[in-house]
Amino acid sequence: MSPTLAYQFNRFLRGSVPFALTVLLAMMSVVPIGISGYANVTPAFVAISVFYWSIHRPYLMNAPLCFLLGVISDCLTGTPLGLSSLLLLLTHGIALSQRRIFIGKSFFLTWFGYLLIGFIIAMLSWIIACLYSLAYVPIAPILAQYGLSLLVFPFFAWLFGLLQNNLLRLT
Amino acid sequence: MAPRQSSVFKLTWPLKTILQRSAFLLLISLAIALLFLGKANIGVVERMRTATTDVVAPILATISQPVDAFHKAVGRVQKLTSLIEENERLREENARLLKWQAVGRTLEQENENFRQLLNALSDPLVLPITARVVGDNGGPFVRTLLLNAGRRDGVRVGQAVVAPLGLVGRIAEVGERSARVLLLTDLNSRIPVVMEKSRHKGILVGDNSTSPILDFLPTNATVSAGDRIVTSGDGGMLPAGRPIGIVSSVTERSIRVKAFADWTRLEYVSVLRYDLPGMSNPDENPGDLGESRLDAK
Repeated sequence: MSPTLAYQFNRFLRGSVPFALTVLLAMMSVVPIGISGYANVTPAFVAISVFYWSIHRPYLMNAPLCFLLGVISDCLTGTPLGLSSLLLLLTHGIALSQRRIFIGKSFFLTWFGYLLIGFIIAMLSWIIACLYSLAYVPIAPILAQYGLSLLVFPFFAWLFGLLQNNLLRLT
Repeated sequence: MAPRQSSVFKLTWPLKTILQRSAFLLLISLAIALLFLGKANIGVVERMRTATTDVVAPILATISQPVDAFHKAVGRVQKLTSLIEENERLREENARLLKWQAVGRTLEQENENFRQLLNALSDPLVLPITARVVGDNGGPFVRTLLLNAGRRDGVRVGQAVVAPLGLVGRIAEVGERSARVLLLTDLNSRIPVVMEKSRHKGILVGDNSTSPILDFLPTNATVSAGDRIVTSGDGGMLPAGRPIGIVSSVTERSIRVKAFADWTRLEYVSVLRYDLPGMSNPDENPGDLGESRLDAK
């Protein structure tokens, strides 16, 4: 017996939650909130989301979706097109390959994982940005962004966990 | 969507893994290819960006409205506490500015008379387009703003963007109803400037830090902290004499400039429609040139 259309549609809607949420986060990260210097160190909400869902629902946050999210956030922020895609794909790749370590363990391990992976990605992004513009790009804002992302990570992990338990239990 | 454990699945999973791996590598190479394509300044990439911002700008405008409202409310409460002092200060400032206004009027008239005596050409009319800032760069790599005005509103690439206190940057990309501003602090920003007093010309070079560098000054130029910097109008894209900032530090290696613009309160900015007659193509800038000529009479 094949599942009804309504059921499949429901499932599709629930399944698209991680992606839709990340697009929303990408938009939120460019909304000007009027704090001095915040625009340059806005936490990497999209990267946090990709990291979380790559561990917990990898089939809802697969590589093509990561690529697409990167393109969207590049277009939104004015970053060189392809840069965010590359970084998000790498985040996704690393998280996916290590997900056995994180899954079912304490939250602090995930946070520690983000601490390591986030740092690698931040350094890599700095090197790519320098190579791309053939100039020295100040590293302080990149590190500040990394630090802030690390600070807001628990909140987002909690939020995503809530969604996962309520909306995506069956997917 | 969840993989079901069936015998078929078990048989096919190595194939699936290989496919997934190759898709991953393919996408990584695609991202790198996009970076190179963007570097090569290909039109398709820019059109894709502007198409995206066109779609997103109205959404962002809606999202940013409550944020703006919240800010206004907070600002109002903060102002309430210092209402009397503020009022007193503004009264004094108003009296002072009225004197300045009288001086300014006399000087303007005098200038006009001299111009007529010399038969000097006046600068074309500058028409501001007021646009709302709906997005910022949201990351450490670039310094940009997103505006909710675009080609249909008369915004064109290269036009100057000013805030009440001074120049902010220039238009870098234009969509139908959105535009991206390259701030003067961005790595790619180059703005022809002149020192207000000594009239030495230079280029204001952004480097992603908060204070851009004043470069390419003549070797005999003497610069000290506090000197005012204005646009020179060289190249014909920006109107001359718009305030930018003051020299904040002078060292052996570089001269830094602190912009007048208040970066945290950029809610509305003006895009300056400006044409030097004969310098721009009327087909590319419909309307602007005609309106500029209204001034020339």
